[in-house]
Amino acid sequence: MWAVSAKEVRKTYPNGVKALQGVSLDVQKGEIFGVLGPNGAGKTTFLNIIATLLIPDAGGDVEILGQSVLRQPKAARHRMNLCSGNANFAWSLTIRENLRFYAMLYGLKNPQRERKIDELISVFSLGSYADRRFDEVSTGTKQRMALAKSMINDPELLLLDEPTVGMDPDISLKVRHHILDYQKQTGCTVLVTTHYMPEAQMLCGRVAFVRDGQILALGTPAELQTKLNAKDMEGVFLELAK
Amino acid sequence: MIQRIMAFAYRDWLFARRNIFSVVEMLFWPIVGMLSIGLMGNFLKLTRDQQAFILTGAIALGTLQVTQLDVAYALLHDIWSKSVKHTFLTPTGVVEYLIGPWLIGIVRGTVVFSLLSGFSMYGFRFYLPGVVPTLVLLSGLFLTALLMGGLVSILVLQYGQKAEISAWTFAYLFILVAGIYYPATQLPSFFYHVALLIPLTYFLDYFRTFYGTSAHLSDPLLKGYGLLAVTIIGMFIGLKMSLSRARRTGVLLRLSE
Repeated sequence: MWAVSAKEVRKTYPNGVKALQGVSLDVQKGEIFGVLGPNGAGKTTFLNIIATLLIPDAGGDVEILGQSVLRQPKAARHRMNLCSGNANFAWSLTIRENLRFYAMLYGLKNPQRERKIDELISVFSLGSYADRRFDEVSTGTKQRMALAKSMINDPELLLLDEPTVGMDPDISLKVRHHILDYQKQTGCTVLVTTHYMPEAQMLCGRVAFVRDGQILALGTPAELQTKLNAKDMEGVFLELAK
Repeated sequence: MIQRIMAFAYRDWLFARRNIFSVVEMLFWPIVGMLSIGLMGNFLKLTRDQQAFILTGAIALGTLQVTQLDVAYALLHDIWSKSVKHTFLTPTGVVEYLIGPWLIGIVRGTVVFSLLSGFSMYGFRFYLPGVVPTLVLLSGLFLTALLMGGLVSILVLQYGQKAEISAWTFAYLFILVAGIYYPATQLPSFFYHVALLIPLTYFLDYFRTFYGTSAHLSDPLLKGYGLLAVTIIGMFIGLKMSLSRARRTGVLLRLSE
């Protein structure tokens, strides 16, 4: 069984923009898979469809761990979570209260719930900020809270949408290490979108390059570099984005 | 489901506790409304029953407005904090999404009702006709608040943030047509027939029979609760459909930006 299996996924927005034009993709369980591409390529649309936040056009479907996002969305939501760049949560709630709110939404009960919150606060070095309001902490802290939130239900599928966008290089590096550590510990599947190639190189076992709502290339970073005669992923990006 | 209802109640409680506007909503406007009506009644030298009749409108309006705001705020708070997508990424359904904040709304509405009734008894010879009629009126107000808050959420999902103004206007429109300071029979014919479709009309009419004046609608409680059941079920179905449409059109994501 695939962690993610997308078949002929198309999405046309009401304004006529064709964001996805027949994307088919299989992601293995336990891999970190990157969806790369320039701005407006359709990466986030694809991720949002997997996250059940967007319904694709008729004809296509996505299965998450064997469950269709169209026919069994609620069951699928229990098994995944999402972290996106530019983290936004309830401003007047503290970091701990925000995490508690989402933990309750995923059905976690005490004492397991508070244990999980404490664990995530510790893993993401949020201890000094846990009781500060969300609008009082720095962008980096907000992003770490977003990552903590995305792991609150121990997802089997973790969706990361530009997880380090707008972050300082040192914080970005820490976040990537968090992602790698978490994946190693839990064995979950990670699907990450990024247009930052060093991130893809560091995190992803396989990548798909998307442009104009279509997959142009798919393989390991090394395979793509060889195929396109590029010395690194930046070169792959420049070649495919032409 | 209980956990998710408690989650939304917990979040709404924290919002209410930390927001100075929630205190203004609970105290300032309802008390201004009650005082102005009470003083007008004194000036017009109304009988005690007439005074109680019109004060019922002011008390009901304050209670309804505060309770329905909590329900409407469920979605509005998510929009204001741009976290709509994170909420609907979870296995949350529309029922728990509204019921959680509604429970806090009931607490706040009960406080408003008690304060306004207490002040009115002290200052304007107001009296409550008994425990049962009072509980019946409160149940009608609280269930109508759930209905109105849900309708606000549907409008916001359909038309985006510009529809949020409905959160502050719906209570006034509903109660104006349901008969705020007058029996529904005083309304022009068209609006009288609209009033018959609003559950609150029947609860106000039932309650006011104890003050000797009403539109004397037949079977008010049967019709009031029956209409509430039908409209609330319809509202939840409508909200579910609106949410599905918002997922299809991308509105749900736009509300997170």
